[in-house]
Amino acid sequence: MSSLLFESSRDDLEMLVGEVWSSHVDDRDGLEPAAPHPWSAEAGAATTPCWSGAVSVTGLWQALIAVDLAEPSAHALARGMLGLDEGEEPNRTDLGDAVGELANIVGGNVKSLMPGHHDLSLPVVANTLLEGATELLPQIVLDLAWRGEPVRVRVLALPPSSSHHDQFPEVSE
Amino acid sequence: MKIVLADDSRVMRQIVIRTLRQAGYTGHEILEAENGREAVDLVHREGPDLVLSDWNMPEMSGIDALSSLRGSGCNVPFGFVTSEGSDGMRERAALAGAAFLIAKPFTPEAFQEALAGFLGG
Repeated sequence: MSSLLFESSRDDLEMLVGEVWSSHVDDRDGLEPAAPHPWSAEAGAATTPCWSGAVSVTGLWQALIAVDLAEPSAHALARGMLGLDEGEEPNRTDLGDAVGELANIVGGNVKSLMPGHHDLSLPVVANTLLEGATELLPQIVLDLAWRGEPVRVRVLALPPSSSHHDQFPEVSE
Repeated sequence: MKIVLADDSRVMRQIVIRTLRQAGYTGHEILEAENGREAVDLVHREGPDLVLSDWNMPEMSGIDALSSLRGSGCNVPFGFVTSEGSDGMRERAALAGAAFLIAKPFTPEAFQEALAGFLGG
């Protein structure tokens, strides 16, 4: 049985993501709260070109922590993390690496908020929206904006009454 | 001094190198490894003064690399730079012989505090 609830607040998560941003991405332009963005075609709008990175947490708490960035934000993220100039364009390998590392840092810190032993997966990255397995339900979704472009952080988890899964929660594009 | 830096993310290796510079640690030779296995090989081949390692890496994790080094009698100072900074992870790191654990996200000040005893002020 998955017996733990993620009890940290939106404010905790927002503070954590803000700290990651100011330390490793951009110490001038911070993240701002924003209205939910229609990321997927199912939401009734055209699909937003984006990058997603996600890590899974397994143990008593089964969860997926994902970060979604609009295409321009992902490029700016990689430039910020690599210390590139505004005119320099990161290659696709570095783009995926930057998005994955962002998911890893956020996910590792979220995992650290949970009591007991849990395992953290290596990040999965895609140049499209990653969806968690259908049994994972949103615990916290942060809709944010950075330099006017949407950024989203999702914490999805099995509800406490769900059956225990021995494998990492599935991720699909 | 010679530092082995192990992280599967090139982006994070660049951030660590930049942060070392911002913390005032310049002029050191940085040898980069993409996983624990490469780090162990580099340590045996190059005899560094310090190892900075991520925890969660493909091929061989940081904690397994540390165990391998200690098991072979190598006592090189070894510190983690990882996104997993809970008390439990810090305890596991210390029990395995790690000198410190720097949690991501980090600041130059965190590096100064952790590294002062190994790289000087």
